[in-house]
Amino acid sequence: TDAPRCLADLIETFRAQLRDDPDVASAVAAIRALLGFLKQDRGETIQGLRSSLLAAINTLSRVDSSVAVSSAGELFLRFISLTSLEYSDYSKCKEIMIERGEIFLRKVSLSRNKIAKLCHPFIRDGARILTHAYSRVVLRVLEAAVESKKRFSVYVTESQPDQAGQKMAKALRKLNIPVTVILDAAVGYIMEKVDLVLVGAEGVVESGGIINKIGTNQIAVCAKAQNKPFYVVAESFKFVRLFPLNQQDVPDKFKYKADTLKTSQNLTEEHPWIDYTSPSLITLLFTDLGVLTPSAVSDELIKLYL
Amino acid sequence: SGELMDLIRTEGRRMTAAQPSETTVGNMVRRVLKVIREEYGRLHGRSEESDQQESLHKLLTSGGLSEDFSTPYPLLRANVIEAINELLIELEGTTDNIAMQALEHIHSNEVIMTIGYSRTVEAFLKEAARKRKFQVIVAECAPFCQGHEMAVRLSKENIETTVMSDAAIFAVMSRVNKVIIGTKTILANGALIAVSGTHTLALAAKHHSTPLIVCAPMFKLSPQFPNEEDSFHKFVSPQEVLPFTEGEILAKINVHCPVFDYVPPELITLFISNIGGNAPSYIYRLMSELYHPDDYEL
Repeated sequence: TDAPRCLADLIETFRAQLRDDPDVASAVAAIRALLGFLKQDRGETIQGLRSSLLAAINTLSRVDSSVAVSSAGELFLRFISLTSLEYSDYSKCKEIMIERGEIFLRKVSLSRNKIAKLCHPFIRDGARILTHAYSRVVLRVLEAAVESKKRFSVYVTESQPDQAGQKMAKALRKLNIPVTVILDAAVGYIMEKVDLVLVGAEGVVESGGIINKIGTNQIAVCAKAQNKPFYVVAESFKFVRLFPLNQQDVPDKFKYKADTLKTSQNLTEEHPWIDYTSPSLITLLFTDLGVLTPSAVSDELIKLYL
Repeated sequence: SGELMDLIRTEGRRMTAAQPSETTVGNMVRRVLKVIREEYGRLHGRSEESDQQESLHKLLTSGGLSEDFSTPYPLLRANVIEAINELLIELEGTTDNIAMQALEHIHSNEVIMTIGYSRTVEAFLKEAARKRKFQVIVAECAPFCQGHEMAVRLSKENIETTVMSDAAIFAVMSRVNKVIIGTKTILANGALIAVSGTHTLALAAKHHSTPLIVCAPMFKLSPQFPNEEDSFHKFVSPQEVLPFTEGEILAKINVHCPVFDYVPPELITLFISNIGGNAPSYIYRLMSELYHPDDYEL
């Protein structure tokens, strides 16, 4: 009887965090909620802890089935396994886990600033940047560029079906950056005018490719065709252990929203929300682990999971 | 050792500010800093396998404290000096190490193209010439025409050499089997900063699907990224391009004489260095072994 109540609490904590701080990454909110769940878990063994955490992560992905939450869940599980390998005594282990969890959360809250510091020198004075949909990391990078007194202009795609681009344009106007919203279909038209493309990512896969809002692949292909650098900014907790070879390989649970998955009869009639961009189209990835070429991403993932 | 590192860092900054295009100065400072960190770590009792690099793994398992270099160790000085001597020996042997790999890459009756003058490529070709017969075409690399000196040195070793102008690079490329060049700097994404004219050579090679091999020792690998595309440029006196005697014309035009060229990593096939042959996409890994990420910005 405890379990369902705890899970309901978990969902509530997760939702509350997203409500109170719209700037927080959904993965960070998920990890914070899972850490809270861990604190009040009353199990006595590592196995018990793992299974209740697995249940918790499943519940969370039924609320928000995005890639970011899934990668956060996997990272947290890995975190538990690594820590439990070092300490055999369960209560000590749990203490250390909670302590390290707090440190981890503190470090990732700094990750956006680290990325902004790495990325803004790549934006030259007078640059014209193309970005896609709404990304808080890209926003932070552009903010850092403004702070270092650079002048540049931004083109944002409207990004249907939720018009996320309008939200991005509004946020950019607040920073006094000249911004133009363009149709998703106008990317090929506008590409000759831009100097670089800068997008965020919902997930970074093992091959070094990214999973991001639908439309990103198109932009990458156009950028490659016209020889424009395509930069991706993403925090390191977004690295996932997927290796899609094409668009079909991306699991359905990431492509569609959680509610759609539950209610829809025929998924082929739904529009996917994300697409996969292959690493050959990406020039550089800016993460809090440093500036990486796409081939370096798999190395990072191996270091973690092996 | 924290003080030692700060001292070295300040000196390094001064030296790189004096001559920014000589990136090897900064690279060596970073190598020394890495040596000091390693020796300190060894004395501090940290295990050899522990990774100094930032990684996801480290994020999850660290206890939170970052390395504090304030504990004094009397043995540290001797260890660091020994390690630096090893580094010196390695540096002195780089050209020979690269030349030793020549036989694997150059086959008989091949036509090799190169540009300008590079000591590394000269040693590489000379070593291959001892056992194989091949031809070399040297692009003269205007306006300084160092290609002429390269051709003279190569022909002294009885290698059949042809000199041609830079404009003929594309025309001749269809008869070339391999392009072997040296470089000034290797950037962190696998790109090159090489002598002016190299980008043309690389594009022509790509068009004809000719492999482009870069012979460069590891100390030329610099952890910088090509962020501001024009920031690495060094311009010298335009006297070489258009002599000052042409005063009437000079008053009406702008003359530039850039020394370096940027070559993107997609155009390069292989890097041959003193530690072996590597693809450009692997450069990030070599860099993580040579330098510590905290030292990328001196």
